[in-house]
Amino acid sequence: MLLAFVVGVFYGGFVRKITARVQNRVGPPVYQNFLDILKLYSKKTAINHGWMQHLGPAFAITASVTSLMFIPILNGTGWCVWFENLNFKGDLIFLLYMMVFGSLGMALGAGQTGNPNSAIGVSRGLSQMVGYEIPWVLAIVALMLQTKTTSLTGLVDFQVSNGTWMMFESPFAFIAAVLAMLGMFHYAPFDVPFAPSELSSGPASEFGGKYLALMMSSGSIFSFVKLVLIVDVFLGGAANLIMLVVKTFTLYMIPVLYGIVSPRYRTEQSIRYFWGWPTFFGIVGVIYAVFVR
Amino acid sequence: MNNIVLILLILSGGGVLSFLLNRVNSQLSGLTAFVATVAAAVLFFTGIGTADNLNFTLGGMQLSMEINNYSWIFGALILSFSSLVMLYSISYMKGKDRLGYFYLNFMFSIAAMMGIIFSRDFISLFIFWEIMTWSSFLIVVYQGLSEGRVGIKYMIFSAIGGYSMLLAIVFMKAQMGTVLIADLISHFPTFALQQQTMVGVLLLITFGVKAAVMPLHVWAPRAYSDSPMSYTSVFSGLLSKMGIFGMGIVLISVFATSSETFGTNTFYISNVLAWLGGITGVIATFYAVIQTDAKKLLAYSSIGQLGYIVMGLAVGTKLSVMAALFLAVVHTIFKGTLFLVVGAVERQAGTTDMTKLGALIRKMPWTFVAALISIIALAGIPPLAGFVGKWMFYESLIVSDHYFLVIMAFLSSTAAFLYCYRFLFGLFLGQEEKEFENVKEAPATMVIPMMFMALLLFVFGVFPGLLFEPIAKGMETLGMGNVDWSMTVLGNGWGDHIDTLSIITVIGTVFMLAFIYLGLWNRKQTRYVTTKDIHTSGEIPTENENLTYAVDFYKPFERAIAPVMKRTMDFYYNHLGEGLESFFNFLRRFYTGNGQTYALYVIVFLVILILFSKQIFL
Repeated sequence: MLLAFVVGVFYGGFVRKITARVQNRVGPPVYQNFLDILKLYSKKTAINHGWMQHLGPAFAITASVTSLMFIPILNGTGWCVWFENLNFKGDLIFLLYMMVFGSLGMALGAGQTGNPNSAIGVSRGLSQMVGYEIPWVLAIVALMLQTKTTSLTGLVDFQVSNGTWMMFESPFAFIAAVLAMLGMFHYAPFDVPFAPSELSSGPASEFGGKYLALMMSSGSIFSFVKLVLIVDVFLGGAANLIMLVVKTFTLYMIPVLYGIVSPRYRTEQSIRYFWGWPTFFGIVGVIYAVFVR
Repeated sequence: MNNIVLILLILSGGGVLSFLLNRVNSQLSGLTAFVATVAAAVLFFTGIGTADNLNFTLGGMQLSMEINNYSWIFGALILSFSSLVMLYSISYMKGKDRLGYFYLNFMFSIAAMMGIIFSRDFISLFIFWEIMTWSSFLIVVYQGLSEGRVGIKYMIFSAIGGYSMLLAIVFMKAQMGTVLIADLISHFPTFALQQQTMVGVLLLITFGVKAAVMPLHVWAPRAYSDSPMSYTSVFSGLLSKMGIFGMGIVLISVFATSSETFGTNTFYISNVLAWLGGITGVIATFYAVIQTDAKKLLAYSSIGQLGYIVMGLAVGTKLSVMAALFLAVVHTIFKGTLFLVVGAVERQAGTTDMTKLGALIRKMPWTFVAALISIIALAGIPPLAGFVGKWMFYESLIVSDHYFLVIMAFLSSTAAFLYCYRFLFGLFLGQEEKEFENVKEAPATMVIPMMFMALLLFVFGVFPGLLFEPIAKGMETLGMGNVDWSMTVLGNGWGDHIDTLSIITVIGTVFMLAFIYLGLWNRKQTRYVTTKDIHTSGEIPTENENLTYAVDFYKPFERAIAPVMKRTMDFYYNHLGEGLESFFNFLRRFYTGNGQTYALYVIVFLVILILFSKQIFL
């Protein structure tokens, strides 16, 4: 968990640096996000808008930590004594739902603040989620059909024992998943829900101090979870920590680099985008999986 | 006395009694109905067994009523759920007029539902089915007949359902000489192809109308939202389940294993039904997303959820049927609770329009908690019971190779998050409005049933085995062979499984830690401010400035799905209706009502007869 936190936060720092360089600025140091989070944790929170605002970030961190615990980070046995067997007790569909839990909780918390920007952000975010979830689920279903397992460890084992990566075994599903991933990470052009210049960061706009700190840590862990998930599913998992970092970082650069040079979509454009080519590739992937196995 | 008769008598007698007592005191009326339901429930849970049966011969046909493991699930659900609703009803209906009328019909529909599940032959099934239809129709029109012809629509569709069952019964009688369900099951494989199709489709139409499967659903949204909320929770929670009950018998017992074999006749019927269920799920969910009235939102969402259940039954593998029945029970609990929540809001705040309401969370905290838990279960988020059902459902579809159906199911359940959030946000969160400043929490008799059901959702989420046990027994009665189940571990056919206990442990621990940190420790340092005191980029909103974002909440989503929504099923039915009307107008030209014209027709007919008699009679 600590690892996930550290890596997640550092990736956030890298993104800020890279963005700055692309935009011809110097940018903050890579450890800036650490400082931010530390500062926020030590801050006193002055106001609240009621119970749901307390619960929102709690839901968010619950979702990201729980999904982290049910994901096999490294191949082979569990990497930590405490949570050794947990990843055998959940599976992909459980994870899909667990990952939604956080955003829904955060959305509820944001809802209570009564800030119209938050509400607009949530409405956009959920709408967009319906968009990218379709190609993503298609890709996952294609994999499940091909490997005849729905558990993550099963998928990793399949790839290890066959000495191949699902990325090559099921290329169409991979394309669909990567395109869906663009939406999942909410970088431009899919930063519709947060849209700093329109909505003053949308759902998060009323959360300060410790709330924001918890939400930032949860967000960092969560992006790490998503990356590890895709690495596990498509890139054959990782045998050791260095491979894990290399793989996740490479993957992470796809939405980041694509995002830096893109403007923002409107919400319906974004949904339509996901229901276009990504879904097409997803369907091709499913059909391919049925014929291949 | 026979327990079956006794239960039916208690229920219908309670209805009549509460109708009469309403003359004395209107409070007494609700109380009587509640006591009668509880009494029937107690009798059902303690006194009834498979030994209780009732056989008699009527007009040369053998009729029979008994209880088996499959109907026990539904019976238990009906009686326990309606007891809770009756308790809720006492306060909810307080001060409304025509209470006697309401409770009479309410009790009659409960009695009719119990009759349906007791019936082992189609004649008594048909009779109780019609009683159920009529009593629910009378409640739908409780608030008046005029608006939108809701009652008429409901009646027409119920009549279609009723007549197709009647046709099926006539056919069965002609073909086999009996109307027992058991006889249909044993004779069905000997039928010819067309006969199999006819009986199957006719019965499925009957049950499909009640389960509101597309394209037979158009009566449902308005009928659900127009009846009093305490009845709607029974309407959507239980009456629709009677359709599921019947479908289970037809799809699993009658079609038997032939529905799983590719290429047989019933396989196609089942698959068409599964697809209809999927389409229902998606379209109804889209409609639910764009509603502005909380009642209608829930009504559409019910239709969508029933689409899943139908899909699960129609797919017909062990896991999918288990998932469907599990979802059926859980759906009754959470959708029932949500309708009760809306009822409480309607009673306390006077409206259910989500564009007007807001920020009731501080006024009605307990109602909010019940709503939150039910919504989490509806969305299928772990660790609540909805997740268990959804998980089994998806796994069963994937394992049995229905990969495009699973995508439809995922699409509709992801889109369901939209209306889930809309519901909570519209009623309980958002800007506080002056208009609703003095809203109070609902009375305890309304809050207790809601909280109790929310608790049940939690229990069934952690220990789904409590529900698996009766369901597995019921499925064995239906003829599905031996069904495996365990208390906390769910598995699919590929050997993957999840463990609800470890899930709840992890979620519980992390959540409690975060909650203690934020909710208890951090909360002390903060002070509460109103929802006007927010970040507005430096502008200070004036007192009367409206900061609520509630109208056209999902406009972008609406734009994105616009092509799908262009035509509603209503549109086609209305066109059909108009077409029929103009056809009848055309006929009316001949039947002018004038004696002279009819005389002319007779003469013309005779002339034709004489002229062409050689050709005709040769």
